[in-house]
Amino acid sequence: MSAANVISILSSKKARTMTQTSQTADEWADLLEAVARRQDTKAFEALFKHFAPLIKAFALSSGLHSQGDHLPEELVQDVMLAIWRKSASYDRRKAAPSTWIFTIARNQRIDMLRRLNKYRADVSADAIWDLESDTELFGEIRQSRIQDKVKAGLYELPVDQRQVMAKVFLEDKSHQEVADEMKLPLGTVKSRVRLAMKKMKLSLEALDL
Amino acid sequence: MSQWHPQPDQLVEFAAGTCHTGMSVAISVHLHYCPQCRAALSELESTSAVLFEQQAAVPVTDSAFDQLMQRIQKDPVTEPEPAPVLSNRFPKALATLLPASLDELDWRQPMKNLRVSHLMTDESGMIIGLHHMKAGGRVPNHYHRGEEISVVLEGGFSDQLGSYGAGDFITRTPSDTHSPRADAHEDCLMLSVVAAPVKLTGALGWLLNPFLKP
Repeated sequence: MSAANVISILSSKKARTMTQTSQTADEWADLLEAVARRQDTKAFEALFKHFAPLIKAFALSSGLHSQGDHLPEELVQDVMLAIWRKSASYDRRKAAPSTWIFTIARNQRIDMLRRLNKYRADVSADAIWDLESDTELFGEIRQSRIQDKVKAGLYELPVDQRQVMAKVFLEDKSHQEVADEMKLPLGTVKSRVRLAMKKMKLSLEALDL
Repeated sequence: MSQWHPQPDQLVEFAAGTCHTGMSVAISVHLHYCPQCRAALSELESTSAVLFEQQAAVPVTDSAFDQLMQRIQKDPVTEPEPAPVLSNRFPKALATLLPASLDELDWRQPMKNLRVSHLMTDESGMIIGLHHMKAGGRVPNHYHRGEEISVVLEGGFSDQLGSYGAGDFITRTPSDTHSPRADAHEDCLMLSVVAAPVKLTGALGWLLNPFLKP
């Protein structure tokens, strides 16, 4: 999927997501806990209905279909299976449900791409992008506040920044690859992402030491 | 708290999962020591998740859920809740690359005060290894033909550009020349990720690549 699609969704869903945010996140968290505690297949099916089509979109935007028509559906299966198996390690105090699911999708995509490229991985994506490593609990309120801030902030961004954000964060492209594709200097791509993060009042710029 | 960090755009690529394995191991090890970067990563992942949720959904095949449930019924294992992590000597991303004891690694000594060991070469040709400097030992002046990333694991060292302790993420570009010296009281152990051979600039002028077998 192209960045333009993402952007059109961003604007059309604006009103709805702005009001539903925390309630929806709470519901997904409840469903994940039901899967973890009771292997609740009804809860799992509800999660599947919402997230499977998003995982497929993510697989397509990452270009997986260019390496095999069946791969986007295969990624959906791998990610949903991992969600089922890892549900006990989901902790709502540490991460919003969609953030936890995104990190699983990202890690599964990394492992799938490595298998496809016959690259012998001495270290799995889960060992590097460790889902359980952080012992500090940021707290549910802080987590949903970050997501709300990002959601609100994204709508305020100029088109060029939103487009670069969608490409850099979802499309499995490095800054350099995005720069090549958009025929922009590398520095421009990097600074658009930094400006966007700054406008969303995220603290990333504190790292500019 | 660590004083030297990855660049923001390197953290962005880590969050998106687009950096090569060498870089991602180095950043993962740094994150272990750096709550500030972990907080930044958490925000970047939240940002990714918002973009992820706002994609235009693409329908999956009708049988997808039933197929998945069959797979689950055949093999219904779920992973147990993670046990609290014991205080391991090394962060997980690195620990998975190491044998039970560092003595089991194939250590080479390319010069006085420095021992190096090769752990793996990643898909982009980056070499991941360990560097060990003797307490108080100075490594001769050298520059790098490609980018080198070091993350201090134990002890500390200093060079012309600063001094570094556990968790510090140090990037050296081809234009930097330096001669690191380990802190006096303790040996210094580092994770090293290098793109290309290191060249000595000392009087001998010989080419040094600590990872290539002679």
